[in-house]
Amino acid sequence: MRLRAQYRVGPELKFLANLDMMHLMERALRRAQIPYLLSEGFNPHIRLSMGTVLPVGLWGEKEYFDLELKPMPAAEFMTAMNNTLPPGMQIQLCREIPPGTPSLMKMVNAAEYAFMIKKSSLELGDIIAQILAQPEISVQSRGKNKSVFKDLRPGIFGITIEVADQIEIVNVMVSVNEPLNIRFDELLDVFTGRGVNQELMLDFWRRGNYIRQGDKFSAPLEARG
Amino acid sequence: MKDRIIKDILPRVSKPARYTGGELNMLKKDWEKSKIKMVFAFPDVYEIGMSHIGGKILYGLVNETTNHLMERSFAPWPDMENLMREEGIPLYSLESFTPLNRFDVVGFSLQYELSITNVLNMLDLSAIPLRAKDRQENDPLIIAGGPVSFNPEPFADFFDVFLIGEGEELLPEFLDCLEQNRGLDRKSRLLKAAAIEGVYVPALYSVEYNADKTLFKMNPADPSVSARVRKRVVKDLDSAYYPMKPIVPYMEIVHDRVVLEVMRGCQRACRFCHAGVVYRPVREKSINVLKNQAECQLQSTGYDEISLASLSTLDYSGVDRLVKDLVKTYGDKGVGVALPSLRVDAFSIELANEVQKVRKTTLTLAPEAGTQRLRDVINKNISEEDLFKAVEAAFGSGWNSVKLYFMLGLPSETEADLDGILELLARVRSIGNRLSRRPVEVRASLACFVPKAHTPFQWRTQNSIAQLEEKRRYMVKQKMRSIKLSFHNSETSMLEGVLARGDRRLGEVIYQAWLNGCKFDGWSEYFKYEQWMEAFTTCNIDPTFYVERERPYNELFPWDFIDTGVSKAYLYEENVMATTGLCTPDCRQVGCLSCGVCPELEVNLDLKEEG
Repeated sequence: MRLRAQYRVGPELKFLANLDMMHLMERALRRAQIPYLLSEGFNPHIRLSMGTVLPVGLWGEKEYFDLELKPMPAAEFMTAMNNTLPPGMQIQLCREIPPGTPSLMKMVNAAEYAFMIKKSSLELGDIIAQILAQPEISVQSRGKNKSVFKDLRPGIFGITIEVADQIEIVNVMVSVNEPLNIRFDELLDVFTGRGVNQELMLDFWRRGNYIRQGDKFSAPLEARG
Repeated sequence: MKDRIIKDILPRVSKPARYTGGELNMLKKDWEKSKIKMVFAFPDVYEIGMSHIGGKILYGLVNETTNHLMERSFAPWPDMENLMREEGIPLYSLESFTPLNRFDVVGFSLQYELSITNVLNMLDLSAIPLRAKDRQENDPLIIAGGPVSFNPEPFADFFDVFLIGEGEELLPEFLDCLEQNRGLDRKSRLLKAAAIEGVYVPALYSVEYNADKTLFKMNPADPSVSARVRKRVVKDLDSAYYPMKPIVPYMEIVHDRVVLEVMRGCQRACRFCHAGVVYRPVREKSINVLKNQAECQLQSTGYDEISLASLSTLDYSGVDRLVKDLVKTYGDKGVGVALPSLRVDAFSIELANEVQKVRKTTLTLAPEAGTQRLRDVINKNISEEDLFKAVEAAFGSGWNSVKLYFMLGLPSETEADLDGILELLARVRSIGNRLSRRPVEVRASLACFVPKAHTPFQWRTQNSIAQLEEKRRYMVKQKMRSIKLSFHNSETSMLEGVLARGDRRLGEVIYQAWLNGCKFDGWSEYFKYEQWMEAFTTCNIDPTFYVERERPYNELFPWDFIDTGVSKAYLYEENVMATTGLCTPDCRQVGCLSCGVCPELEVNLDLKEEG
């Protein structure tokens, strides 16, 4: 069967690279004695696909993986895994998905990032209005080809602010993967370039990963099927 | 401090997971309820230190079986070090983020001579005086153990105590002794500790030299202090502590797998080998004990590979059955078995093939020298026929690349021996091309021979840098297709040699080198040869005195007072036999050869013979 799981990566694990995260998950699968399936060939590996790649330095509220395994109740899987995962990482939801369901990599095309910002003389509302009003936001790519400039504006779907006592939390929904991949560090540049410097940023993390269809954003385990 | 490190410091360094702690199976004991607080300090980066099996043993031993506590600390990489110095952050332990100077004991593991500058750097980052004589009542005791401490003298200035031999035996006793004498002043506590067998307190000895700069005498300062310090050994490995729940790092480390120590010691008696002498005698674990340890470690870590570790794993008497059983039990779960070093014979390859059913590993063999004559000199008891059979078996069963280890600068080496290496490589390549469908890759790693203390070659000269470079040029000149040669740095090897057979006077040089900015000397990108040479000049010490001098039979060595159980007479006899090219067989096959270790240490060669 194929199983899709939603999990949390706590702040204590934010420095792990993607490969480290994968090893952590594979080791947990072995400790929990999950009946995972192995690939064929000389170098068999667990049929685990980490669908979402969390950038180093960020923690994540809702990340996802798919796993192929021998039939087992999803609830049992979750309990067995949560008993052995390190503190800071828990599976929150999991469900069997039908064979042929497109991979997470193919489906996920939006992500929401949160920036926790210390209150200061900066008017965040104005800065955000200014960002949204711009027809084009050109940044130097942080990806493989660094000489390329890319326009982030069409990939910024929405920005909201939550105001609390001493802080404000800015949530940004952006396009990821195809057709336009906005990297977290590129997004960070958009803010730091407008005076929201690193000293004011108390924390940042990824809120979640979404499948965008038109104006609708749904989480990978939200809608059945 | 922890919050600040995580929020402000770590986002700015490479590989921040080195500095966070909190890994799976980490043991954090209650600080207040624990007696002696010790930090295990490894003078290299996290991913090297966490791969070290001795540290895993001591960590579990102290935390699980005693009422003391042990935390961990590693050398910060230079980017982290710079930030720590800028921001005034002291070196801290990964369990409780406690600065090192708040522990009772800071224990360094000395695995490699050149890691000493990192020791100094770590002490400096902890605001602990570098020299033992400058430390006050409230400073921690700085101790060291590990293979390098079998010649502790070059490092004597910086340590209060050396623990000689196997820590399972010695460390708990030492910590108990400190706890019992907690009320006493520093000097009295050290005097009490020095009464324990295996404990060496350098400050309790004075040293006199002859006019020719060789050692004249080492004098114990107190009648209660023994003139000789005898190493400690575990008599029965089956009942010795072994960790069942080792820490699983979040980041990738060098040996990222379950490590099963199948035995300790090696009786092959290679004449260059330091470990072969200081870890004598061979003591094996029972197969059932090992299988249980494998099961527990896999269960608690989730690793996908088991490595069978020892000085010569293929000599473990139950290796065949152990490997087959492990492959049978865990193979279908995708868990592989790794043999880190192979003996040069066909049996080894057959066994490696068993392992390969699950996962491909690199095939490495160590003939060490290029001609039979020279292999006889060093007592590497393998024949050309063994080697070619091994290589045939390897290429014939699908291996496609082989790596061979050699040494340059061995005693009595001539051009013919260098040619021998090249001819041997060419033969291996042609065997490969005959038996393999694809073109094969043959790689050779050429290390520089460094004579070590306590070995039959401790009297011998080491090749100079100029000689080694000459040999390197000679070999590189004969370009050979699809054979890759890699050479160890001859400058690094020279320094290693100086420290390996050095004396107390080198303490000043080490200190100067550290002042000159030397650290991470084992890492080629950080090794600063000129700064080391400057330090020798400043201290008016000629390094060639330690390496390029043939030592007479009757010379008293700075490490002679360390008793490994192996007699100096035996070592000298081996040295003489080397000159005539006479081989010494393995004592587990032919019976006792009177090296002295078993009767001296009242321990037996412990083989778990499997029919």
